[in-house]
Amino acid sequence: MTPLLEICNLSVAFRDGDENRLLLDGITVGLGQGEILGLVGESGSGKSLLCRTVMGLLPSRRLRVTAGAVRLEGRDILNDDIAAIRGRRIGMIFQNPTSHLDPVMTIGRQICEGLGRHRGLTGAAARAEAVDLLAQVGFPDPAEAFSSYAHRFSGGMRQRAMIAVALACEPEILIADEPTTALDVTIQAQILRLLMDLRDRRGLSIILITHDLGVVAQTCDRIAVMRRGQLVEVGEKRALLAAPAHAYTRQLVASHPLLSHAEAALPRHDADGAEPLFDVRGLEVAFPRGGGFLRPRRVFRALKGVSFSVRPGETVGIVGESGSGKSTFARTIMGLTRATAGDVVFAGHSLRSGRAAALKALRSEVAMVFQDPFNSLNPRMTIGQTLAEVLRDQGETPHDRIPGRIGELLDMVGLERALADRRPRSLSGGQCQRAGIARALAVNPKVIVADECVAALDVTIQAQIVALFRDLAEQQGLTLLFIAHDLAIVRNLCERVVVMHHGEIVEDGPSAEVFARPARAYTAELIAAIPDIDPDRPMGGARTNDKNDTNANNANKEELAT
Amino acid sequence: MLAGGLAILGGFVALALLAPLIAPFDPILQNPEAKLLPPSWAHPFGTDNFGRDVFSRVLWGARIDLQIAVLGVVFPFLIGTGAGTVAGFFGGWVDAVLMRIIDVVLAFPFLVLMLSIIAILGPGLASFYIAMALVGWVSYARLIRAQILVLKSQDFAVAAASLGFSRLRIMFRHLLPNALAGSLVFVMSDAVLVLLNGASISYLGLGVQPPVAEWGVMVAEAQGFISQAWWITLFPGLAIVTLAFGFSLTGDALADLMGVHE
Repeated sequence: MTPLLEICNLSVAFRDGDENRLLLDGITVGLGQGEILGLVGESGSGKSLLCRTVMGLLPSRRLRVTAGAVRLEGRDILNDDIAAIRGRRIGMIFQNPTSHLDPVMTIGRQICEGLGRHRGLTGAAARAEAVDLLAQVGFPDPAEAFSSYAHRFSGGMRQRAMIAVALACEPEILIADEPTTALDVTIQAQILRLLMDLRDRRGLSIILITHDLGVVAQTCDRIAVMRRGQLVEVGEKRALLAAPAHAYTRQLVASHPLLSHAEAALPRHDADGAEPLFDVRGLEVAFPRGGGFLRPRRVFRALKGVSFSVRPGETVGIVGESGSGKSTFARTIMGLTRATAGDVVFAGHSLRSGRAAALKALRSEVAMVFQDPFNSLNPRMTIGQTLAEVLRDQGETPHDRIPGRIGELLDMVGLERALADRRPRSLSGGQCQRAGIARALAVNPKVIVADECVAALDVTIQAQIVALFRDLAEQQGLTLLFIAHDLAIVRNLCERVVVMHHGEIVEDGPSAEVFARPARAYTAELIAAIPDIDPDRPMGGARTNDKNDTNANNANKEELAT
Repeated sequence: MLAGGLAILGGFVALALLAPLIAPFDPILQNPEAKLLPPSWAHPFGTDNFGRDVFSRVLWGARIDLQIAVLGVVFPFLIGTGAGTVAGFFGGWVDAVLMRIIDVVLAFPFLVLMLSIIAILGPGLASFYIAMALVGWVSYARLIRAQILVLKSQDFAVAAASLGFSRLRIMFRHLLPNALAGSLVFVMSDAVLVLLNGASISYLGLGVQPPVAEWGVMVAEAQGFISQAWWITLFPGLAIVTLAFGFSLTGDALADLMGVHE
């Protein structure tokens, strides 16, 4: 069978003055009719660039195709008039639907635009076709969606709308660039299902770019692994995942956090008798939202009465989808956000009745690690300056000992001492995150609160950081509050897991137990929606459409008060 | 570009510093014998209607005009940066009050406000600087405030708060250095405006008082003779334009260097 799309020996170079770097190096891969090809690799591996080259959308004038060809049914589309092909025969969807949908145009009009341009449909015919498309991608009320603007919908629905816009031109090939990375797992499962559905019904061929091996294992037929602009391995997914030939692929597979096979973290000790370190009672946080002059004041209740306690030495994972209140919870117990009701008691000090004393205790014994590794370090200070500042401010290390202590901290997190003179900009994401952890350790804390601290990292780096946390928790007896949306990581790292949903704790128990026998339907759904790296363990728990999601959003996110 | 801009600015600073050494004549010494002489070897820029050497006056004028450009920017910059940082960091009523004050200042046309303040204080350079500080700080305050608002919600600011750093330290050690790039670039383009402003105010007779050599005053005094003696207006005018160009170039180069996009 001749493939529908052939990429032959494609090379793309970046040229800036004398500098000439090869960003894509002799890529050869084909895509068959009705096939889903998964393109995996870490950030900077060139997977997005490959697809943009195919689309003729090179992001910079300094980029040039230096060799190779891209053939669609045997016709070279790199040299031919590509605009006619783009959109009509190849459609593309992106990671962030919000920025790729026109905010001042109704979704219906955006679809009709493509219908008119590529298929000559106008007026009522176009409208009927557009409504049909919206129904196909799973809008519960397609006629209403037709005349709505993008901002009215949740992230999952926007992604569906973008797929409908791409489908309007009846493409034969759909390129999906990280289409589910910004979405929660349950929504991700729905979108992936939709893509597979479209393949079955329309015979669409799909190139799916992702960093998540679980996603490719669940949806793709073949997998292509990229690294540093080269294609290191291509193959049928079962064969490739079962016996990866290339060392890098083996590393990727090994780094993937496993939910099904690996053992859950076990309690390290019996802490039942100890006094709780954190004692949170009926915590509520509400933010004013919208409203204003002559309009009712709306309140967004981020936390709705959360009670929970942590004993010294526990490792607790707090999981939940976006908007579940995990981060607000972390900031509130740190005293960074004020609670509307309820109380947080840390080591016997109440944030409500003795705020000053409680804050003092918190600042000297609890440290935070943040999500965005670049953004959480002051860009104008070197790593050494950042650490020195914390050490000086804490006042426990004599001044002449500070440089030595900085060295020790860097050793602890596995950073070379020479990196102390660098600024965050000249470090990689993983190095920055290690520096962020070193800063947290500089406080000499009893507790570390880590807020989605591996979400922005590549899987191999993720695995390293998680291992670092595990070592630190074991060696130094740290108490760890690990907030994440990735259940697999939490299961591997934490002995106890707390599941949050719409500002409430819905489940709280030992990891092994919660993952094996979730007590609540929501937890079960969350676990089932995680794409497993084993293709023979299909995702479950996905609802057929987003209806529940949008309704739940409307009902839960905004509540009218006062 | 940066090199060009800095060369021009450096050149003017050098001329200003060396004015007493290189100026061939006393800038305010009148010589009725040598009135309205066209440029020659003895008087490269000619002489004015009082017989003063225009070249010497332009050199000495560099001292005053550079001082105007620097002091006219420094005070607004300091006040505006401080106010903007505090308003952005604290928010709430502090922010509301400061922003309303800025609205009030902005509600008046810039020059009218300047002129009224100077008229109240009496003409002179000191009044000019005070008026500049009272009116010019608002742009800096708004620039910095907007930056601080963005920065204070970033993780490194939250991290600093979670480490128990004092508010002063967070504001001035962590937020401000990251917010400054935009205003430093603005300083350069603002210096151009202040320079022209100072020249206009002096031209109107409210700034530098004759017989002190200042480019704006020189242009003003010479306008009656422009048809007979073009050189009296041309050279101080050129000096203003060149110095302004130097500031502009430096500002643009800084913007590129610091990644600020206007």
